[in-house]
Amino acid sequence: MKWGIRIMPREVLLDSQGRAVEGLLKQNHFQLSTCRVGRYIELDLQETTEENAKIEIKKMLDFALYNPLIETYTIERLNL
Amino acid sequence: MKTEKTLSPELQKKCQRYRISSSEYHKISDLLGHEPQGIEWALFSALWSEHCSYKSSKIHLRKFAYKNLSVLESEGENAGVVDLGFGEKIAFKMESHNHPSFIEPFQGAATGVGGILRDIFTMGARPIALADYLCFGDIEAPRMKSLVQGVVSGISSYGNCVGVPTVTGQTVFHSSYNNNILVNAMAVGLITEDMKMARSKASGVGNWVVYVGARTGKDGVHGASMASESFDSNNEAKKPNVQIGDPFFEKLLIESCLEILDQDLVVAMQDMGAAGLTSSSFEMASKGQVGITLHLDQVPMRDSTMTPEEILLSESQERMLLICKPENFDKIQKVFAKWDLEAQKVGEVKSERTVDIFWKNEKLVSIDPDLLVENAPRYDREFQKWNSPNKTNLKASTLSDLSKNHPLDFITKAPQSMNFCSREWIYKQYDQRVGARTCKDAKSSVAFLQLPSNRGLSITLGCRPSVMRMDAFIGGQDSVFFPALQMAVKGAQAVAVTDCLNFGNPEKINIMSEFVASVEGIAEAAKAIDAPVISGNVSFYNETQNQNITSTPATGVVGLRKDLENIPADQFTTQGQVVYWLRAPWVIGLHSELLTENKQMNIEAKPHFEGRLDSEVVAAWIRDLSLFVNENDIAVSKVVGDGGLFESLRRMSLGDFGFHGHQKFFETVNFEKIYSETFYEVILAVDISKQFDFQKSIEEFCQRHQSQVYEIGWAQEGKFEIPGLMEVKTEELIERHQKGWGVL
Amino acid sequence: MKIGITRFPGTNCDYDVEKMVQHFSHTPVWLWHQDKFDIQSVDAVIIPGGFSYGDYLRCGALASRSPVMSSVREFAEKGKPVLGICNGFQILCESGLLPGALTRNEGLKFIDDWSSLEVDNPNSFFGSRLQKGQTLNLPIAHGEGRYWIPAEGLKKLHDHQQIWLKYKKNPNGSMNDIAGVMNEKKNVVGLMPHPERALALWMGGQDGMEFL
Repeated sequence: MKWGIRIMPREVLLDSQGRAVEGLLKQNHFQLSTCRVGRYIELDLQETTEENAKIEIKKMLDFALYNPLIETYTIERLNL
Repeated sequence: MKTEKTLSPELQKKCQRYRISSSEYHKISDLLGHEPQGIEWALFSALWSEHCSYKSSKIHLRKFAYKNLSVLESEGENAGVVDLGFGEKIAFKMESHNHPSFIEPFQGAATGVGGILRDIFTMGARPIALADYLCFGDIEAPRMKSLVQGVVSGISSYGNCVGVPTVTGQTVFHSSYNNNILVNAMAVGLITEDMKMARSKASGVGNWVVYVGARTGKDGVHGASMASESFDSNNEAKKPNVQIGDPFFEKLLIESCLEILDQDLVVAMQDMGAAGLTSSSFEMASKGQVGITLHLDQVPMRDSTMTPEEILLSESQERMLLICKPENFDKIQKVFAKWDLEAQKVGEVKSERTVDIFWKNEKLVSIDPDLLVENAPRYDREFQKWNSPNKTNLKASTLSDLSKNHPLDFITKAPQSMNFCSREWIYKQYDQRVGARTCKDAKSSVAFLQLPSNRGLSITLGCRPSVMRMDAFIGGQDSVFFPALQMAVKGAQAVAVTDCLNFGNPEKINIMSEFVASVEGIAEAAKAIDAPVISGNVSFYNETQNQNITSTPATGVVGLRKDLENIPADQFTTQGQVVYWLRAPWVIGLHSELLTENKQMNIEAKPHFEGRLDSEVVAAWIRDLSLFVNENDIAVSKVVGDGGLFESLRRMSLGDFGFHGHQKFFETVNFEKIYSETFYEVILAVDISKQFDFQKSIEEFCQRHQSQVYEIGWAQEGKFEIPGLMEVKTEELIERHQKGWGVL
Repeated sequence: MKIGITRFPGTNCDYDVEKMVQHFSHTPVWLWHQDKFDIQSVDAVIIPGGFSYGDYLRCGALASRSPVMSSVREFAEKGKPVLGICNGFQILCESGLLPGALTRNEGLKFIDDWSSLEVDNPNSFFGSRLQKGQTLNLPIAHGEGRYWIPAEGLKKLHDHQQIWLKYKKNPNGSMNDIAGVMNEKKNVVGLMPHPERALALWMGGQDGMEFL
């Protein structure tokens, strides 16, 4: 069962990478209001039910995958 | 030799694909006793490539034969090793990663650093310093800004993470590198008395061949033969060849390899560089005069679809091959497991001198390693004896043109050129102090590191491409003398040299002539100063669409100083320091861009010169100068380099103190002396209390060496001034010096 | 005194810290990342800098979840002194032993330089001779040293005098120029600069001598 986790810097925090990419895009005349840069993690789990998988993923997130102080996450089911 | 039959169209095609010439094809058939089959094609293609075999350069590299008693290892090994006494040995080498860096600057430069580090710790040395020699094109040329940024961040990301400080470097910009940048990395390693030096000679029948480190993937397949080929405009298609480096993995590999050496578990060790498993296994067998079996299906793979040929040629990074006694394998595996790495037996050493390659118990090939290593072709490419085409009388007209510009213009406008502005933007991205040995960092003209014996290890890079454009033989000499002189004015003596010879297409007679001339120049200079060339690398075919780079024989020079106390500074440090100009004008010329192709100042001249460098005389001068500096409390010192006297004084004024020139001196001195680039001259400054003693001994020095010395001024706080001629605040000089990088 | 020095895969200032510890005639004790240790066996712990786990995922994130760190936590909870330098500081923040987080430098580039620092509040164990307001010169070398903490956290830092060192000229965009902080009990401290690289004049400065 494949899952995707999107991790983004919290809104309150200066996203220095996002700011740089945004600047570059704007300099090159792309139309956009903001740009933010995060990371994406793919997990392939043995779990058979979605519920159990989510519990497992939550545990992994809390263990190491994200830092609640500076990041937020969303998870999504892949290859449905 | 048999008359060569013309090859059938299919064979021609195959030869082209494997980059084997038709004469090489016939030679291979003769050596094998049959036409090459199956995997033999790939083996010969890789090991007979220019990159692995040095086929165009080998006969000239013999000119570096001079060694002295301190040299423990040289060309035959992964890196040269010099004994410094006090139980300290230094392993070092320099290598190019030009083509990969042009295609993918970040990964190309990063893996260049990774590769040279492996050459060092393969010898059992702990890497303690990195240095980079970079040549970029005109900054406005297509892609150039992103190439500069990519290369610098690649080096920064790899070197910093792996924990080896980058302590010095050289960065040059010139349009001849527009389509072919140079990225040369040098690494220096330390072997202390309690450490064990390693070698790459396989030995001991029945010993195991063990693969350690990263798994093998398809990255970099055919990389070695790519590096031996000129560029075309179709480089995008070559992307898959680029290898990806992992400095974290390399760090684990360094620690685990040094640990197994420490426990004496290894017979021989070799990194998998160009042509990967092929070159490492065949070279180990050939050097050891033994045979080995190799089971390709046992090689740890990242990709299960890999073919035997791809496994043999993969240039996946961070891998090593080692030979151990069977009883030590478990212990080796344990050490690697501790560092989260794999160690896998892939073969055995045998007495019969063949390399037998198996795939799932089927023997793919059995071949004498010497056929591929020792019998690789040697080409005596056509060249002309060097006749110094730019040697002429120094043209008075050019000099008077130059002198029409006000000296203030030289002082203030120089940093508008990429070649004369601050390199801080680059070196601030490098960790220069990890290891806690750094005494003088990349800001200094010469880097110094503390050795365990408390002596200073000096490192600096050589080769001024503008001098090479002036004259290839002097350029070669200067690649050794200039860095050695830079060390001498800091009180250090050059000990040994490594080189990285970057040239265009060796099949062109003018390129080959420059190659031979500069190799001879380097060899002669290195011998004269008793600093043997102990390792090196040749990078040919730096040619894109028929345009060749400036021939660039980069060097890395390592030296010694008795301690780290009172190393003369690069900039004036105290009010009133008395400034002297010491000259030994063996060669007077014009070469740097500042004096020959300076658009801002309407200067356009061809590089030219008069005179010659007698290596023995120059070497004696440099040696004596180093002693002189140590005995005479020199506070500040600098070798006058590109741009001549004013440019050097400008650089010495980039601190709290500037230069105050004696009005009379500057009114009466002739232009030739000021506006030319002289080989060699140095600026020395002493504190005012030392002036009397200094004058006495410098006069003796000048008599001994037929040099001239002039007292030209003193150091003064806050400004650069020559009364009646110019005045500028040091603050302004510093600001202009930093601003040069504003274009990035 | 016995000073434990942690080693993670990718730690690269371990020998430098060992030299510093020996310099002060203390006994270094290696603490391997996969092993827990007896908290009675050492008197203080230093977490050296480097690129633990290659800085992958987030700096210090993976190291902070290792067995040795659970012992360090236990050790710290007993009120014993712990110092994190550079990546060690990042590890302490990731493990929650120090407040806040270290994020990518504002300029996005790695910075190696000498930086001028001011002591905001002295620490009683590491750098006990330092006075409030004293100026220090230490090298910095990091790509992710921009200290960040939510507003309420920052207020707490001020209220409890937990700000240890401040940059006089902010190199990386750190909040309030913070270069080093302490926990509330003041036994756990972390800083981005490298005192172990400034122990002698030949190194360019010796203010690092004040830290042990």
